[in-house]
Amino acid sequence: MTPKDYLTESNARPSNAVIDDVPFFPQDELQCGPASLAMALNWSGVTVEPSDLTQEVFTPGLKGSLQNSLIGSARRHGRIAYPIAGIDALMTEISAGHPVIVLVNLGFSWYPKWHYAVVIGYDQIKEEIILHSGLTAGEILSFWTFNNIWKRSEYWGLLILPPDRLPSVVEEGKWLTAVTGLENAGQWQAATTGYASALKRWDSSFIAWMGLGNSKYNLGEFNSSADAFQQATRLQPANGMAYNNLAHVLAEQGKLDEALLAAQYAVDLGGPFQDTFRQTLKEITGMKLYKENQGKAY
Amino acid sequence: MLNRIIRPVSVFLVLAICLLNFHVPSVQAQMIGTDAVIAGQQAANQRAQVADFLAREDVILILTQYGVDPVEAQQRVTSLSEEELSSIANSIDRLPAGGGAVGTVVGAALIIFLVLLITDIVGLTHVYPFVNHPR
Repeated sequence: MTPKDYLTESNARPSNAVIDDVPFFPQDELQCGPASLAMALNWSGVTVEPSDLTQEVFTPGLKGSLQNSLIGSARRHGRIAYPIAGIDALMTEISAGHPVIVLVNLGFSWYPKWHYAVVIGYDQIKEEIILHSGLTAGEILSFWTFNNIWKRSEYWGLLILPPDRLPSVVEEGKWLTAVTGLENAGQWQAATTGYASALKRWDSSFIAWMGLGNSKYNLGEFNSSADAFQQATRLQPANGMAYNNLAHVLAEQGKLDEALLAAQYAVDLGGPFQDTFRQTLKEITGMKLYKENQGKAY
Repeated sequence: MLNRIIRPVSVFLVLAICLLNFHVPSVQAQMIGTDAVIAGQQAANQRAQVADFLAREDVILILTQYGVDPVEAQQRVTSLSEEELSSIANSIDRLPAGGGAVGTVVGAALIIFLVLLITDIVGLTHVYPFVNHPR
């Protein structure tokens, strides 16, 4: 097999590219996961040492770090973790200036030596891949060797990006999943930025408007949260979810009449979340009654 | 003999029942989370919420067994989606965990050392940093 067999020629891509500003951290024994993640995170603007990440990604019983632990840790630092696959995607992202964490098997399936490294460059003419790996900064591997060790992980790669920076080639669903991960990690500010970036690209994304509304709500920014849910109701007028969440925001703002209308509307629309919608309506009805009775007491 | 089996089993059952009693989420007036919006219909009903909860407990338990601090395991699980968790719950013993090849030279038996040395020279593997690969 020649390298050409696994390489699609792309005219849009330069024949070589190197990202200069990826810091190198030599790994301690078994700590290629924390080291690789630290390089990518520092590149993305998060100041962190590999030893700070060991606790978050390393699993002692496995003597290594799981892919999903890297993903979760990146999110806890407010960064997008976006998986990619294949040499084509790899070089496209490198040429866009995005370093890529790769999982490789340095040995064989019957003698696995799983290892993380950070690809920082390529040269299509010399047929070389350049990576920060183990104890070596800027190690150079031939396409042939790199392909052999990378294919054993089914070409698994991971981008670590600031939430305002989309991958060069990006799928809406994958981006939104990554941003939702930021929400789950409690990184509301980063999530807000991630959804806003999504909406610049896909302005009619119901999920992105919902996510923006939820993140703003959690930041206590109720006006912009309500705006986002309003947008979502316009995009999917028959979906009660947006009305339900809007009702909560309006209640939070003290606009109980409007909140009641929205909650009632969600209940009328029904759907799989109708139990939640009914509870929302009940709660806001209770709030309104309480407020009215309080008024009478004076 | 029987006691040796009954005791751990009953301890497990007591724990399991306690977990079920205290943690299964009930329907509340709440915001619909974005992950639920993405999952759409599936995660909507309560059964799915319970399944999600159990998956998280599973993974926390598994990670703890593999030496991760319980509090940290909880944190790791929080930032992952149900789909991302299921791969850990179902196949942790088969998942690749990158650790690197530092120490391999010492650890490998002679025959494996020689095989890997040759495959390294050919460029099929990259275990030994001192081997120059063909270009």
